[in-house]
Amino acid sequence: MTDTTARRNSIWDLANPTRFLGIAGPLIPWLAGATALAFATGLWLALLAPEDYQQGRSVLIMFVHVPSAWLSMFCYSVMTLSALGTLVWRHPLADVSVRAAMPIGAAFTLLALVTGSLWGKPMWGTWWVWDARLTSVLVLFIIYLGLMALARAIEDPVTSARSIAVVTLVGFINIPIIKFSVDWWNTLHQPASVSRFGRPAMDAAFLYPLFAMAIAFTLLFLTLHLMNMRNEILRRRIRSMRMNAAREAGGA
Amino acid sequence: MMLGQYAGYIICAYAISAAVIIGLIAWTNLAYGARRRELAELERQGVQRRSRGQADG
Repeated sequence: MTDTTARRNSIWDLANPTRFLGIAGPLIPWLAGATALAFATGLWLALLAPEDYQQGRSVLIMFVHVPSAWLSMFCYSVMTLSALGTLVWRHPLADVSVRAAMPIGAAFTLLALVTGSLWGKPMWGTWWVWDARLTSVLVLFIIYLGLMALARAIEDPVTSARSIAVVTLVGFINIPIIKFSVDWWNTLHQPASVSRFGRPAMDAAFLYPLFAMAIAFTLLFLTLHLMNMRNEILRRRIRSMRMNAAREAGGA
Repeated sequence: MMLGQYAGYIICAYAISAAVIIGLIAWTNLAYGARRRELAELERQGVQRRSRGQADG
């Protein structure tokens, strides 16, 4: 066995579901603690932020809207990488990861849409416009719901994993569309003010609470994702135990 | 802290965010509890994770 093969095998062993449960168990409480601490810091900094000269106190909505929107895309990117893991390496944890991330992504995309609407009404004078950014995020939400429905619709685990992986990969086309929609089309939604070349177009008084909240939301996603992956592994164990019991009962 | 004329929108945005996040955490925890109970019940009944003859992993 070559060194490379041995190294690859050890990585695969680490990603074994049983070993994953052994690592995730002790890690989850620490991640949950870090998430709570990050939220406390983020909310404290948000409360200290001054009024914006244009938005007034409604700028506070941005501290939940922007991290939700960021997570809606980050979560889908994690799902896409995991989908590649299913199709290329056929790794069992890859499909577990995709399924575990779906409801979290859907929830944060919904939050991005709702909080955006709550900010849009006082600032733009409307709850909703069919501009490219808003519409592409709505499409992302529908993709999440479609994937969740697909995950429940196919009984066979192998066919289900492959179908979900293929649809996830196809759906990824929407992520650059969301990101660059504000540059490619004339939208009511403002262009990027944080993730852009050069300095962010935002004062540090708003940038720090925004970063703190983005870290808190990301830690929350990592915690929930690990917890959901653990649930999914247990669900599979229960399924295989029930099948074994039925097989043995049938053979007896 | 004064939220000004947009107080209703701000409170709504934070309340909905809190409800969704707390709901997600609760749903995940409840599902974990349910799976653990189900597994314990199957183990109590003597159901094996692997068919007889397969190595345990």
